[in-house]
This record gives sequence, C-alpha cells and structure tokens, in this order.
Amino acid sequence: MKRLEGQVAIVTGSGQGIGAAIAMTLANEGASLVVAELLEANGSAVQKNIEQAGGTAISHPTDISEESSVNEMLRVSMDRFGKVDILVNNAGIYPVTPVEDMAEEEWDRVIGTNLFGTFLCSRAIVPHLLERKQGRIISITSGRGLQGAKNGAHYASSKGGIIGFTKSLALELAPAGITVNCICPGVSDTAQPRGHSTEEELYAKGATIPLGRIGQPEDIAKAAAFLASARAKFVTGQTVLVNGGGVMW
Amino acid sequence: MSKKIAVVSGGASGIGRATVFRFLDEGYFPVILDRDADAAAHTLAAFEQRKLEGQFIQADLTNKQEVRAAFEQIIDTHDHIDVLANLAGGTFHKNPIHVVTPAQWKECLDLNLKTTFLCSQAVIKPMKAAGKGTIINTSSNFGVTGGAERTHYAAAKAAIIAFTKSLAAELASHGIRVNTIAPGLTGTERVRTKYTEEQWSALGGVLPMGRAAKPEEIADGILFLAGDESDYVTGATLHVNGGMVMP
Repeated sequence: MKRLEGQVAIVTGSGQGIGAAIAMTLANEGASLVVAELLEANGSAVQKNIEQAGGTAISHPTDISEESSVNEMLRVSMDRFGKVDILVNNAGIYPVTPVEDMAEEEWDRVIGTNLFGTFLCSRAIVPHLLERKQGRIISITSGRGLQGAKNGAHYASSKGGIIGFTKSLALELAPAGITVNCICPGVSDTAQPRGHSTEEELYAKGATIPLGRIGQPEDIAKAAAFLASARAKFVTGQTVLVNGGGVMW
Repeated sequence: MSKKIAVVSGGASGIGRATVFRFLDEGYFPVILDRDADAAAHTLAAFEQRKLEGQFIQADLTNKQEVRAAFEQIIDTHDHIDVLANLAGGTFHKNPIHVVTPAQWKECLDLNLKTTFLCSQAVIKPMKAAGKGTIINTSSNFGVTGGAERTHYAAAKAAIIAFTKSLAAELASHGIRVNTIAPGLTGTERVRTKYTEEQWSALGGVLPMGRAAKPEEIADGILFLAGDESDYVTGATLHVNGGMVMP
C-alpha cells in the first residue's frame, strides 16, 4: 500500500546522493515530486528516473541560498500541483578547511546553503502548510552537527543549527498539526565524503560502525518516508539518527 | 512462508496492547507476555472476534525462571523470534524521594529495567541463530528530562536508554538491532484513570500539539523500529511526544 498517495513533495538537492534517493523513495510511495536541484542536468536525470519508474515529477533548478530562486521554485510547484505537502531540506555542501584558514566567503557560502537555505525554503512553504493545517518539513542534519567536524566548523555549525531550527519551528507549527523533524545520517556512500576520503578510506569506515557498513542513501530515504507518513504524525522536533550505531547520542 | 513472530512484553494493556494490534495489522503473529491474565483475556477475545491469531503467555517478567520458561515455550512453538518489544512497566505511583521506600524503588526498577534486561537476554541466542532480529525497549520523556516525584521511574527509563545503546553495540555484528521508543504523555487507560476529564484536557492542552499521544501513535513508532524501514538504525532513541520533549 502506497503511504504517500496523492501527496506532493519538494526535495532540495535531489539531483544526486541522499536527495535523489529520498525523491525516488517518496515517489515510490505515491508522492508527486518537485526535484529542486541546483544542477539542471542532475535534476532532470532524477525526474526522468522517477517517471520511468511510473511516478510523477517535475525538475526545477533551484539555488536555495537565494530567496528569489526559492520563491520561483515554490510558485512553479504550486502551478503544477496546486499544493505542497512535504518539504525535504536536503541540499548541503561540505568543504574542508580549518578555521584559521577559512575565508569569510567560504563560511558564508556553507551557512548560506545549508542553514540559510533550510530557513528560506521552510519559511516560504509555512504559510501554505498553515492554511491547510497539515504538512511535513524534514531536514537533513549530520552526526557532525552533534559532534563537531575537524576542518569543517562551518558545516558542523550549519548542521547543528538545523537541529535548533527544527525544534523551534516544530514548536511554532505543532498547534496546526504540522511536524518538523530532522534526520541525522552517519557516513554515507555518496559524493560528499569522497571529497574528504579516498574510496578505500570511505569503505574502510564501515568496519568501525556497529552495523558493519557505511550508510546508503536509501537508509536515509526510508526514514524520510516514515517521517513524511501519517504514522509519524505525533513525532515532531526530533533528530532521528540513522547511522548504523556509529554515533549513539 | 511462516509469519514473523513479535513478542510484546506488557502486551495485555496500554501501549503494549496497541502495539500488539499494530503488529497484527502488519501481518505478524504476536505473542503477549504479561502478568495480567484478565487484561490479556480481553485482548485475546478481541483477536477471536476479528479472526486474528495471537498467543498469550502469563509470566512475571521480573522472575528469571518465568522469563526463561516463557521464551523456551515460544521457541519450542515458533522456532524463531523476529521482534521483541519490551513494553512491560510504567509509573505506578509518584512520590518525593524521602517518601519512596526502598521496596518501591526496587519494584519500579524491577518492573521497568529488570524486565527489559531479562527479556532482552532471553532472545539473544535465538536471534543470533537466525542472524537477525530487532529489540525495542521503552523509555519515556522522563528518561531524558527527569521528573519530580519520579526519581525511581526516571532513573529506570534513563537506564533503559543506556542499556539499549550498550546492547546495540554488542549485537550489531550479529545483525540484531536494538533501539528505544520514548513516549511522552500518552492516553492509556491506566494513565487516564488518574485524572478527571478536565484535568486530562488541561494536561494535554499545554503541550505543543494540544493533546497527549494516542497509544496507536506510539505503536506506529515501534513498528518503524521493528521492521526493515529502520535497517540502518540502532542504538537510537525515537521520541514520540508531539514536541513535548526535544532532546
């Protein structure tokens, strides 16, 4: 039975990695998708994959750090589908730089995408969700947001910030029955950690994780599908750890 | 293909009972472990009415021998156990620390923590033999925030979180996942009887979602932790409390 039949979901950064897996999984559960990806080619490819699998999707290149781009993406979504039920704030970047060498521009860019982008997208959709007194906002944080990241203070700050933002927005929207949660992956088999580790190093990390492997995008996608569903209607303000036991917070 | 077996301690009433019915919905064969035969009888009657299959084994789960016998019986009958949900327990009374007697402290820890330990221990061998399994233990909002007049209950519920993480670390390499469900204020029969309608309304009214949880909403969280959807989740605590506590 498809748990998200008739729902409309926006997933940012869904051109690859965890975002693409989330978009695909939500589509498999019956949701229509808005693939809000910065890179047009990647976004289109995911849209095609969803359609080939029998789902419904549009792709709209979006820069979540720019309010005008976010507003345009939302306008296009509403034009096409008439409503939005679910927002997944997944887009994020993770450059590697120690604080003492960190340019202000880099700090601004990471906070601007990861945290400010989450804020902009959430803020844009909230009035619509409040009008309908229903909805789901799911953001992707990181184990780094809980434990810090050596040479990634901007990333850790943005991901930790997403947790504080999530709890606050959850309190604001709870009276309307709208839930706001975040999912906390551990080490994932995507392009992002490959920016910091070799292929070998990445897979070797699996040995240090209790469940014996690094995370796959589908692991996060399944948790997102749960949080998006009616079964999680009383779960809000929470940080759901999906990391194979790598961090037991 | 044989059904998946879900053992639910404390499954005769409250959240345990709601969990049993959710397992039924998802096609599991539930085994209720409970000391309360009367409450179990009501649940079993409901099964019969709806032509559903389940089993009840009466046991005092604070007693090592009774736990062992119960799980031996389950393995004899069913050959495997897919899920253990430890719902046995609860707050039976509240008292400031100087009023809590050592016997009351022990009873609270036994009913909540000891039962979790004994039942979890009993499924390890069969789950290792199968190379898989999931265990869900029950904490509470009080397990993370503490609670006045609940020194014993909060201690037990906090201990369960740490127990879960430890057991998760021990069993992960065997394909067994162990997680914690942490309900907030939930409208079970036992809890409801402590308040008038007015008091209950007021209690729920100050919470973020304006109400307490329904037992089925907690059960939904347990089902998530029990099945394949949470394949990469272990040692985690899922709080289902409408925003009451956000650790």
